[in-house]
Amino acid sequence: MSVSQSSQHDGDALHSVYLVARREFVVRVRSRVFRIGTILIVLFLIGFVVLKTRVLTTTPTVTTVGVTGPAQVLAHPLTEAARGLGRITIQHVSSPAVGESLVRSGQLDVLVTGSPLSPQVLVKDQLNATLQAALTGLVKQEALSAQLTARGLNPGTVAAAVAHAGIHIHSLTPPSAGTTQRLVLALIVGVVLFVSLQSYGLQVAQGVAEEKESRIVEILLATLRPGQLLLGKVVGIGLVGLLQLAIIGAVALILIERTHVVTIPAFGAGDIAGGLLWFVLGFSLYAILFAAAGSLVSRVQEVQMATLPVIMALTVGYLAGFAVVLPDPGSPASTVLSLVPFLAPVLMPERLATGDALAWQVVLAVALTLVAIGAATWLASRIYGNSVLKTGARVRLGEALQGR
Amino acid sequence: MAERVLEVDRLSKRYEDVVALRDLSFQVRAGELFGFVGSNGAGKTTTMRIIMGVLGADAGAVRWAGVPLTFATRRHIGYMPEERGLYPKMRVLEQLVYLAELHGTPSDEARRNAARWLERLGLATRASDEVQALSHGNQQRVQLAAALVAGPEILILDEPFAGLDPLAVDVMSAVLRDEARAGIPVLFSSHQLELVEQLCDRVGIIRHGRMVAVGTVDELRQTKTERLWVDVPGAAAGWTDRLPGVTALQTAGSRWLLELAPGVDDQAVLQAALVTGPVREFARDVPSLSELFRHFVTEEPET
Repeated sequence: MSVSQSSQHDGDALHSVYLVARREFVVRVRSRVFRIGTILIVLFLIGFVVLKTRVLTTTPTVTTVGVTGPAQVLAHPLTEAARGLGRITIQHVSSPAVGESLVRSGQLDVLVTGSPLSPQVLVKDQLNATLQAALTGLVKQEALSAQLTARGLNPGTVAAAVAHAGIHIHSLTPPSAGTTQRLVLALIVGVVLFVSLQSYGLQVAQGVAEEKESRIVEILLATLRPGQLLLGKVVGIGLVGLLQLAIIGAVALILIERTHVVTIPAFGAGDIAGGLLWFVLGFSLYAILFAAAGSLVSRVQEVQMATLPVIMALTVGYLAGFAVVLPDPGSPASTVLSLVPFLAPVLMPERLATGDALAWQVVLAVALTLVAIGAATWLASRIYGNSVLKTGARVRLGEALQGR
Repeated sequence: MAERVLEVDRLSKRYEDVVALRDLSFQVRAGELFGFVGSNGAGKTTTMRIIMGVLGADAGAVRWAGVPLTFATRRHIGYMPEERGLYPKMRVLEQLVYLAELHGTPSDEARRNAARWLERLGLATRASDEVQALSHGNQQRVQLAAALVAGPEILILDEPFAGLDPLAVDVMSAVLRDEARAGIPVLFSSHQLELVEQLCDRVGIIRHGRMVAVGTVDELRQTKTERLWVDVPGAAAGWTDRLPGVTALQTAGSRWLLELAPGVDDQAVLQAALVTGPVREFARDVPSLSELFRHFVTEEPET
């Protein structure tokens, strides 16, 4: 056979893989499950972030403070102090009696009257604790300033000197910016990878069993080699998963940009790209095993049972994340576990998110996973090729491996 | 260039302890409709799956125009497997276009072919429906379109008539005739023997994985001993006893069914009949394919 002929055959083979992948992609992206599923996840994400923003920056209701008489001098310092406390509006009231009726009617929350050194504070039921602290501080400040002035000292100079006094904190563990946020991020990365690897892996297994159940596989294999069908299916479904994750990632980036929920410096597109890379690696490894498991059965209902060993391998990584890696991402145990091929696709991105993974560890984990993908492909093609045309009873693994 | 013949040459296949095919050979010429008949489990589907390469043979070869079929040449075969297979949730037209493309048909040609076949098979209005929404008969038509959409050089159809209503049978028959007329060898299996007899140029009868008879229906009739129906109202019982090689199989009133051993002259029988009195009927019993089939598949197995 001449070179040009063989390369033409290679082109045909690739074209067939492309056709299979394109069908998988188009049919799935157009399906209601994908569209509604993606919309739900995005809505959930938005809901989560909005909720978190609300809880973190509990916008206090505006407190209206009325001042009257000599206490009006407190108005300016109170507004200054209130900057860090939430919103306060100051209202100058003509007389204590008018102020009292305003408090009674609820138009004022607080009424401050009397001398700035010992003011009377009138409230309907209770004084807001922060406001109480702020007012007390201000009054003490006023008293102090009055005393200083009486002793011939400049209150401004004293205040500046006092402002410099303070404690200096030395921690034995270097402060890592936003450790909690990074942990939460790692947790989310782990969950998202686990869920998407499992759901898209199961789609591969179900797709394979569907082709067996509907018997179309016999028509397909009269014109495709089993490897082409397998590869096309894995690539097509993988791209659907990647598309969904990319949509989720983009929405997450926009939300972070808009709401400032995540304040870790340098978090952004890079972290999301890392997550997507590990999805590609993890999916290549797991999807092909899911496909082999799916080829052992003849009905879609049997897929759950057949894929159990694969799901268990994936779950071990997921649980090890909670048990070992997230509690102490930098520990030797975490490092070792995140290098193990079948666990790496969930654990390594978790450690990347916490910022504990070193460059050589990432490179090694990627290399080991690639080797595992090679081995899994060889094994799975064998199982798939030997089982995909055997309908009826469930094909035993040993039988599928021996090719009887 | 070698003659365009699909040649099945001494195929053997064994599943564990069961011999599925032994030295099975036959040929289907270009432009010929070949009917493949046999009891369930005789080996028809196994043969077709081996031709399609979805099953490996233990021995033997399948050649097209003198060259063994390869993965590449099999892409030019239109195939309808025994177990029908289509994606239930894919739209009819899209599915046909996809299958044509997999067989190497360029995209726009695939689209044209698919539309043309849907038109021809009366499914044009269902083009954008999902396959699962179609009736069984219509799914069967889509399945035929799937075998034809890539413009095949050979057609292999396993039970294409199974479960079809009479109108669909007519459509299917017409399509197969047209394809054969266009110079394509058509191999199909069926249990509907009247249909096979009507439709096929040649027939192969398979029994226990072995081809027991191949030829036109007329040729198959030659291989069977000749039988005569003779209506002789004046004949006494045992009137044939003196005729060598003639056995009376049954009588119905005055009608006798006689079996003639090979080489016996039917004119001698006629003369003997005339001796008994008037002869109202003297006719050769022309066996139908069904009768031939029963004859071939119930014969004592050779040892």
